[in-house]
Amino acid sequence: MLGSRAFTGLSWAFLIALSLTMVIPVLGVFATAFSSKLASMQPGVRLWPDEPSLEGFATLFRRFQFWRPFLNTAYVVVVGTVLHVALCALAGYALAQEDLPGRNIFAGIILVTLTIPTQTIMVPLFVVFRDLGLLNTLFSLIVAELVSAFSILLLKSYFEQIPKEILESARLDGAGPLTLFWRIAVPLARPGLITITAFNVVWKYNIFVEALIFINDPDKVTLQVALQSVVGGEGSTSTNDIITPNVMMAGVVVALVPLLLFFAPLQRFLTRGTMMGAVK
Amino acid sequence: MSLIERYGMARLGAPSDLWHRTRRALRQHWPYYLMVLPVVAYFVLFLFWPTLQGLIISFQKWGLMGPQGWVGFENYEKVFSDRTVLRALRNTLVISAGITVLGVFLPILPALALIEITPQKARQGFQTVIYAPYLMSWVIIVGLWLNTLSPIGLVNSALLGLGVIDQPIPFLTSRLWGQPLVIGLTTWKDIGFLALIYYAALMSLDQEILDAASLDGAGPSAKIRHIILPHLAPVMRVVFFLTLLGSLRTFDSALLLMNGRTADTVRTLAVFTYERGILRFDLGFASAAGVLLLGISLAFLALSRLLPGVRGGIG
Repeated sequence: MLGSRAFTGLSWAFLIALSLTMVIPVLGVFATAFSSKLASMQPGVRLWPDEPSLEGFATLFRRFQFWRPFLNTAYVVVVGTVLHVALCALAGYALAQEDLPGRNIFAGIILVTLTIPTQTIMVPLFVVFRDLGLLNTLFSLIVAELVSAFSILLLKSYFEQIPKEILESARLDGAGPLTLFWRIAVPLARPGLITITAFNVVWKYNIFVEALIFINDPDKVTLQVALQSVVGGEGSTSTNDIITPNVMMAGVVVALVPLLLFFAPLQRFLTRGTMMGAVK
Repeated sequence: MSLIERYGMARLGAPSDLWHRTRRALRQHWPYYLMVLPVVAYFVLFLFWPTLQGLIISFQKWGLMGPQGWVGFENYEKVFSDRTVLRALRNTLVISAGITVLGVFLPILPALALIEITPQKARQGFQTVIYAPYLMSWVIIVGLWLNTLSPIGLVNSALLGLGVIDQPIPFLTSRLWGQPLVIGLTTWKDIGFLALIYYAALMSLDQEILDAASLDGAGPSAKIRHIILPHLAPVMRVVFFLTLLGSLRTFDSALLLMNGRTADTVRTLAVFTYERGILRFDLGFASAAGVLLLGISLAFLALSRLLPGVRGGIG
């Protein structure tokens, strides 16, 4: 773009260096996770397992019963994402109707929500959830972030791109608002819906603060909180029972792999969503 | 018709007119209102109402069972005289300033570099790799760097091996490294995401302008200074808001990097609110600290709207 060969060379060097800061820590985690207990406690530059072993994973699943947080998280991800996408799509579609009286009022309300950070209302939110009997339920994690301004606005812009003539001709054929939404708008806004779904799966998978605040029943622990107790070494009961690095990093690997597998095919939709959200 | 009568008519007329319009709109468009209703109800119940309640609680004393009466500004007096809160306030501002400055400027570099390289496949590959940390939870991020920066980890081993240091650097357990680590890791985590925003903006830059500048003898640095940066200015404002408002609410990173040694330097206001309100159940005090943080966020938002040339940062 700048037409300078030196600059292009510099660009390659910079991008490779930056990528290495991402790749090397991930490789290091895999190397530690697959090393034996004793090898993982030795200092050294380790990008490949020393004394390859699955000890870390065995300990992780035996002692921490790591499958339970996975099931709990899967429930929150699936139900939470379906509800989130459905509610935000309906609202986004309604707000995309240019002739809807009061449309600006609703759009204003949604914009105002962006100015209140959830972190500042943690305490009253805790009280509200307690009053509604949501504490210590996995459903509380579905309710948190059930809808978001970001999703509504992004979907609204996708719905606005649908040519008016298509919707109008279907309306003349006698289709009601819900039929229009479901049969015509939803299929045409599919890329937007996939983007929001992908983002939401990631957000729900990563849910941490809310789980920390709303849930303290060990049966309902979710993935990130479980991982935190392993990485933070909270599970150790005595000094000869310390959680060794290979167990900690096995936890990180187990949490990271599903995310990377999910990220690979949907990367296109996530990056496009980021660019669209920014241009808006 | 006298003025008074006319004024009276208008006054009576306005509400009933509004009422009629509302009724007609509801009759005609009710399915659409029904579609927005859940979202509005959600925001009222889980955002606006808690915000209001936070304000109310901050003027109350709370026990285990509920409010125990009004205490006026007592919680706020405590907030502004408590050493831990003031320390947390300072940490929040320092961390936020660091994240914002780095977050606005650093991501321009990978965006520019991405534009410079071909083929398209290579661009996409780098984009994917540098974007990935943005999607990882803070628990995973801290896990990654715990392994890399621990006393027996890669960085310390390499530095020791090269003879740069003769004692491992306690990156994760020192007062000194706490804030740089929160700021640095946040910047690192978000750089791919923010670079993508700049990259999208650069894609809309007309190549012909740059070619014309080349003909006039402009080198790469002149082009960056006089064409590219001015072109990115509006996007930089958006990124400024995004990172400023995001960093003021720093929670996960600070909480996860907090330990006995680092607590004093990485505890942010959001973390304080959590510790005091949720862990120690001192709801009144914690709410006052929460309101303070909300106030700071809103003040920055209002202040930046006053700046010339800045219209609506978010949304």
